[in-house]
Amino acid sequence: MIAAHYRLHAGAIGYSAGKYSHFCALYPRQLFVSKSQMENICAALEPLFPCREGAIKTLGELIGDSREDYPSALYLFGHSGTGKTALTRTFLRECSRQQGVRIAQLNAIECYTTKIMLENMLDTLAPRQCTEESVRADNMLEFVEQLRRWHDQGGRSQSFLIAVDNAERLRDMDANVLPVLLRLQQLTSLNLCVILLSQIPFEKFYNKTGLTEVISIHLAQYNKAETQRILGSDFFQVRGHLLEQFSKDVQRLAICEAALTEDFYSNYLNLFLSVFYKACRDVPELQLTARKCFSIYLEPVLDGTVESTDVSRLWRHIAGPLRSALTQIYMRTEKPPEEQEGSAPIEDQSVRKLAQSLELPYYAKYLLIAAFLASHNSANQDKRLFVKHHGKQRKRMQTVNARAKTTEKMSTTLGPKSFTIDRLLAIFYAILEEKVGLTCNLLSQISTLVHLKLLSFVSGEQNIMDGSARLQCTVGLEFVLYIGKVVGFNVRQYLCDFM
Amino acid sequence: MDPTISVSKGCFVYKNGATRAGKKASSKRKRATGATSSLLGKEVIGQPFYDAYVQTWSQMNEHINRLQQQSYARTLGQLVEFVVGQGQIQDEILPTAALLTGINQPDHLSQFDTFTQRLHAQKAARVCVLQSRDCPTLKAAIEAMVFSLIEGEQDPEDEEEDVTDRDRKRLRRSHCTIKQLNSWYTNNFQAEEERKRQLVVILPDFECFSGNVLQDFILILSAHCGTLPFVLVLGVATAMSAVHSTLPYHVSSKIRLRVFQTQPAPTGLNELLDKVLLSPMYSFHLSGKAFKFLTHIFLYYDFSIHGFIQGFKYCLMEHYFAGNAYALCTDYSKALNRIKLLTHDDMETIRRLPSFRPYVEQINDCKRIIAVLTDDDYLKKKLPQLLRDCLLHFLLFRSTLEFFTELVGDLPRCPLGKLLRELYVNCLNRPITASPEYKECWQMLSFLSKEEFVAKVNKSLARTDHFLVEEIAPLELGEACISVLRPQLQSVRQLLDDVVMGTLEMMPAMSTDESRPAPSLTQVASRQELKAQLLQRSQEERHQQIPTTEFARSVQKVLEHIETHLVRGHLRALSEAPPLHELFVFSDISIVRRNIIGAPRAALHTALNNPHFYMQCKCCELREQTQLMGTLPDLSVVYKLHLECGRMINLFDWLQAFRSVLHASEDPDGEVAQEQIDPQIQARFTRAVAELQFLGYIKMSKRKTDHATRLTW
Repeated sequence: MIAAHYRLHAGAIGYSAGKYSHFCALYPRQLFVSKSQMENICAALEPLFPCREGAIKTLGELIGDSREDYPSALYLFGHSGTGKTALTRTFLRECSRQQGVRIAQLNAIECYTTKIMLENMLDTLAPRQCTEESVRADNMLEFVEQLRRWHDQGGRSQSFLIAVDNAERLRDMDANVLPVLLRLQQLTSLNLCVILLSQIPFEKFYNKTGLTEVISIHLAQYNKAETQRILGSDFFQVRGHLLEQFSKDVQRLAICEAALTEDFYSNYLNLFLSVFYKACRDVPELQLTARKCFSIYLEPVLDGTVESTDVSRLWRHIAGPLRSALTQIYMRTEKPPEEQEGSAPIEDQSVRKLAQSLELPYYAKYLLIAAFLASHNSANQDKRLFVKHHGKQRKRMQTVNARAKTTEKMSTTLGPKSFTIDRLLAIFYAILEEKVGLTCNLLSQISTLVHLKLLSFVSGEQNIMDGSARLQCTVGLEFVLYIGKVVGFNVRQYLCDFM
Repeated sequence: MDPTISVSKGCFVYKNGATRAGKKASSKRKRATGATSSLLGKEVIGQPFYDAYVQTWSQMNEHINRLQQQSYARTLGQLVEFVVGQGQIQDEILPTAALLTGINQPDHLSQFDTFTQRLHAQKAARVCVLQSRDCPTLKAAIEAMVFSLIEGEQDPEDEEEDVTDRDRKRLRRSHCTIKQLNSWYTNNFQAEEERKRQLVVILPDFECFSGNVLQDFILILSAHCGTLPFVLVLGVATAMSAVHSTLPYHVSSKIRLRVFQTQPAPTGLNELLDKVLLSPMYSFHLSGKAFKFLTHIFLYYDFSIHGFIQGFKYCLMEHYFAGNAYALCTDYSKALNRIKLLTHDDMETIRRLPSFRPYVEQINDCKRIIAVLTDDDYLKKKLPQLLRDCLLHFLLFRSTLEFFTELVGDLPRCPLGKLLRELYVNCLNRPITASPEYKECWQMLSFLSKEEFVAKVNKSLARTDHFLVEEIAPLELGEACISVLRPQLQSVRQLLDDVVMGTLEMMPAMSTDESRPAPSLTQVASRQELKAQLLQRSQEERHQQIPTTEFARSVQKVLEHIETHLVRGHLRALSEAPPLHELFVFSDISIVRRNIIGAPRAALHTALNNPHFYMQCKCCELREQTQLMGTLPDLSVVYKLHLECGRMINLFDWLQAFRSVLHASEDPDGEVAQEQIDPQIQARFTRAVAELQFLGYIKMSKRKTDHATRLTW
């Protein structure tokens, strides 16, 4: 279909012959270009983006030549880390450099109002002589009119490319934004193409009024071999970097030079991906982590303890660090230089450490425990749990059967239930041995806990006054058990599940 | 005519005419007048007690501030280094510092203020503090950020020198976009290229931000990292896991996070207490109870150091505002000057102090007693000596406390507490030597091995010496204090030498009564008998309590000496403190409690249950709490009736009860038409019920007609 589309516009060259002289005047260099512009661009891009040859070629065929009519909109989608943004950016830059196409690339997240988006677009698209006074566009109409004005001013031969990142945000903006962007070419009668980038397929954009059809290009996730190839492509850069790093240490430099072969690196990447590929396919993230771990991998070789060809021993050496790196992926926590080594990573926190590190005032701890108990016991058990002389309970077969709980029925595993503030305070006073007054300080602790996200409002946040607000405890059993241990309170004893 | 004179009551607003142009001038004017004017009238400000109060408070406040600056210094130093060090910018990765501050975020604003000042001082960055309340949406967040970065607090000199080349025209909020920021930054800072100014964005209360806003915000900042050198600082109250759970992968991969840990709040408080509140520099002291009360609020309720300081300030105010006699609570020499200013009333205040009576009673000369009680001038002559005794006592107390803390602070299980503040409270509250904890401590001390014991006492002595040199010596009465304490410490040292020399050999004197019960052990018939005998013998031994070795004896001697001279001598409880100590010690805890701890529910209950408590009117005096009277306000009657009901209240019954209460007082015959309800009474009832509902005590039930639901218990 794309090919057909392309052929359809092939005739346009003939049409554009008329404006060719004009073109020559503007861009005299291009007269001598023998290869087609599209091939030039593709040739520039392909070494930068390995494994994306197909996508580059398609893009090149569609918008690679500014003398041809562009399709009105393109839709580029694929998961994060598949190179959508980077590819588009480089492509547009090449177009702008080689063919003088005016380009605009913006991120829809920034455009929290339509006005900002339009003005940003106009700013970057504006012809050079107009950049002095800032262009204003309050709405779509003004935007389109401004573009038309440029068209009339003699921008006839000028082509425009607009790329919008995170295009899924456009759906939440004003209703006319997305349809207008998709038909912008038609509305402005400029040679203009809007490229939308997103992570979701275009079907998710459909609304009641319908949208014009766009050409979708899918950037598939890289498979393992491709990932390895991409990661391996920066071998010389890594090597150069390492050699530079060891340039003072002659002995290490020698070892490094000898050991650092492409084979060695690809072996490493193979091991690395065997651990990481299941967890993460985001190439930039993998690249970053791979570089970080490579120095650890290289360490025994540099020390001379392990031969650079002894893959199995190297594996034994690297497996642990790789696994601990796996827990930290995406977190980007940086350690200060003085504790670069030796100290345990901060992220490696168990619940226990977390509970110990969280400093809460004494009563706040009790309130948290009370909230947990209120969340995980049903209200009709309260009397039995918290009142000293609650009377004898008759045992009936029914209750015995009901009591024989399976783990699915345990309320600690079912998740927290909501409770009212009255109940929270009642339990708080029941589990606290000493008597404390119901003071402002105590009540404000509840809101502090809510702020810290240890409790959360389920409903009725607005009408706390009439007692209908319901709260929920968001921390887990283990956490509360530790808090209980700190204040010397046995939480299990007061949970229905453990009776 | 005065424009505010009008027929109706009203509230009048005057525009003060402050425009932006005049803002600077007006603020300066305000500052200039602010120093002299006060909320209080001249007649208060002129009083000596106010003078004393202001002096003490400003001194302490400065001390506290200095201390806090110091304790922030380390973390802030690292943080500033981090911000300044962000020279090279990696593409689209936002440098982020997470400051683990611990809970109670209002306190941390001052910390961030200091941070801002430092950065401004280095001219390294522009800072903007974004509160979560300013950022309900992304738009508001960006606008607030850009606005405060561009318009933000510029130090005055900066403003004056650059006023020409900076575009000073006032910004509208809606113009505050990233684009605007970008052009502003290029205009103002690109020229001075030698060092890049960072743009620091501080989010002091990370947890309160809504997740979506924060994610988008970070994405935008990171997208502009290439052109605008943003640095993000997050104040995290809980733990790093909060950051990771708020930010999904695609956001957290856009930041480079460095974690900074600040000093935990309890440590900060302990430092504050040890260095400022318990410093011998100040003559104002808190009694054990008041001290405990304030620390209790801190540790049990809110962890707020700021709150603690304010509570302390309240105590200080309460203390000085009790009268001019309290102006004597300053340094010795200043107090001497103030004695002359005291009036007859002030002298009477002093005579009424509880500790004045024992002082009078111990004088055995009749004439002198009369003179003390009646002659102001005589008492004024006596005062300096009394004040000196008092001040000296507190210095000695404080120095000995240092010794005592080192001695018993790290015993197993810390029976008396391990921190200076705990021991302070314990010693002030009651005679410490009588308490079982003290005995336990003493026993444990005598069980220590020789090396441990000697090392411990030596350490205590060294610490006390150090304290005397560092803290006491510069003070006015320091010499006197040292001259009292030095010989005592010296004698402890001498006794300690005996301990060092002492051997573990049995003393010959002991061996005589050793022989007595030994043989009986062989003639036992049964197990029970043996057990009983053993028990008896062990009890006997415990009764004897006479140390058997030379070492043990000398240890006992040291401990006895410490107890009699140091503990009994100086660590006296407040009840045994010298006369007039009330002038220096604040102990009226109930008034502080009433005023700084709000108990709205209790107050409401009192007001409704017993209006006389607040209104002090004659008509509402109740014999007992539950009594119902027609003269009470309607709301109060309705409230008291509702207390007698269960969960659901029938409105009609309630109305009947209401009516009978009113009628009971009006005409005791009760022969008014039972069926007909006076519309006036009904109206009063309806109104009272509506008020009760407004106060949140009841809610009209939707399930049952004409019933109200109680909401409180």
